[in-house]
Amino acid sequence: MARMEVKSEVTGTVWKIEKAVGDKVAEYDDIMILESMKMEIPAPAPADGTVVEIMVAEGVAVEEGQVLAIVET
Amino acid sequence: MTELPETPSAAETRLAELEKRRAWAEQLGGEDAIQRHHARGRLTIRERIDGLIDKNSFHEIGKLTGNGTYDENNAVVNVLPAPYVMGLAEIDGRPVAVGGEDFTVRGGTSWGSRRRKGGQGGFVEDLAHEYRIPLVNLIDGAGGTVTSLKSRGYSVFPGVSGFERSVELLGEVPVVAAVMGTAAGGPAGRAILSHFSIMIEGTSQVFAAGPPVVKRSLGQEIDKDDLGGVKIAVETSGTIHNAATDEADAFRQIRRFLSYMPQNVWELPPRTSTDDPVDRGDEGLHTIIPEKRTRAYDMRKLIGMVADRDSLFEIQPSYGKAVITMLARMDGYPVGIIANNPMIYGGAMDAKAARKQIHFMELCDNFNIPVIFLVDVPGFMVGLAAEKDGALREGMRAVYTAGNMRVPTFTLVIRKCYGMAGMATCNKNGLDMKVAWPSAEWGSLPIEGGVAAAFRREIAAADDPQAKEKEIEADLRPFASAFRTAEAFEVEDIIDPVETRPFFCKFVALAYTRMKMSLGPQSRCGVQP
Repeated sequence: MARMEVKSEVTGTVWKIEKAVGDKVAEYDDIMILESMKMEIPAPAPADGTVVEIMVAEGVAVEEGQVLAIVET
Repeated sequence: MTELPETPSAAETRLAELEKRRAWAEQLGGEDAIQRHHARGRLTIRERIDGLIDKNSFHEIGKLTGNGTYDENNAVVNVLPAPYVMGLAEIDGRPVAVGGEDFTVRGGTSWGSRRRKGGQGGFVEDLAHEYRIPLVNLIDGAGGTVTSLKSRGYSVFPGVSGFERSVELLGEVPVVAAVMGTAAGGPAGRAILSHFSIMIEGTSQVFAAGPPVVKRSLGQEIDKDDLGGVKIAVETSGTIHNAATDEADAFRQIRRFLSYMPQNVWELPPRTSTDDPVDRGDEGLHTIIPEKRTRAYDMRKLIGMVADRDSLFEIQPSYGKAVITMLARMDGYPVGIIANNPMIYGGAMDAKAARKQIHFMELCDNFNIPVIFLVDVPGFMVGLAAEKDGALREGMRAVYTAGNMRVPTFTLVIRKCYGMAGMATCNKNGLDMKVAWPSAEWGSLPIEGGVAAAFRREIAAADDPQAKEKEIEADLRPFASAFRTAEAFEVEDIIDPVETRPFFCKFVALAYTRMKMSLGPQSRCGVQP
């Protein structure tokens, strides 16, 4: 069981969180959607697994490189 | 008749001495020094060369070079090898010149002899130049040392025995530099004078000067990894292109990089066999672009669907991430792929992305590697931070470099292609095809921001300015259709996404036939903006 970090690629805001803690996800599944430069930027699961932690809420500002969620594989 | 005791002939004695001297060279700086080097998690230069090249392909040159000690009868007692090991070798059956500092001898510092095996102006560079073969520099040395000042009797002038040959090589043969340890000054400079550079996470650092000099000059106390580790040199400054997880990974990446390269600029890159069919049309290409035009998608996944299976090698994956630069193959032919990355600020080109793209375009142009642009770019990055970084100037340098390319280029617009950043994605010289997917849209600027600026007064005067803006946008949008541009023959064609791979394979093969007629070094003129 490895804990994998889902990091933000951009500075922006959290627009919509699509998965909840406990949800099973497949690689590339969007865990949440960020908003930056008027673009919706998905934060996808890095691998198949389960979302075990979500560190942000909708509407909050996030920095590039910030950890948004943890997926356990 | 009594037999005379056997004494070795003079010839045998000389051969024995040759063997002895070769054995000293193999011992490098001695067992203790090698143990200390291994303890730092580093391989010796001989282990590195073995790890990099085809098995048993090393033909060493200058093995006997070193500092000899002699007894009172002038018989040799020992030779401490010169701190540089080099020679000819093969990588995937193709000859290369390879060399590197031996850190176990005086920390790999430059050696007092007038003639050098490696380093600035070293013989290993002459080998690459004279035989027109790639050069691999395995750098692990501290560069100049003031200890040689006294023995030499004078101070060397910068640039005498400098980088002349290193500069010349960049237009002739592929040059790869791997920073295997801590590189400061000259060796750090040499790492940058390369087509592809790599360093190792945790064990290598690169900087103009290390922590002691920084402390003396600026009073800053900083750890060498914080000053020039992967985080700074690869991810932040782009001084070094790629990071490797360990030395073995560095060797794998070097071999991989060279597999796309020709031996020199007079030859075409090597085609490899592939079982990936030319007409493979991945159905996923139909759904990869989200319906919503403001939703980002994974460009790397898209590239994987189009290029030959398992043929991708990304250059600078962690720097200037708004653009993706990859070496790849189409029907076995090496190509360079430059793709905007919508996941990073919508793919807007910033200074770092422009710098990365410029290097990659020059690399491909120099070595006759056709370039494929996969375009989804909303424009140059905007805002105060981007202006401070010089995004506009760096972006225009990308436009200039794209305009100067001679190698065949192919442009496929996936979605957005706007403004000057869009111009950096195609070269209008010669028969350079521009095609688009039906999802494409383009213009000098996007309708949204463009309407607000051009119809400012009209919008402000309206009873409901927001509705007016939307109305004008809706009025103009049909004219932005890619099909209308195709009617005017401003793009050569619009293709079904599943036709992408067959299209590229066909034209890349043609490009390779055409390039045979225009090989050789490029003369460059003009002034970069």
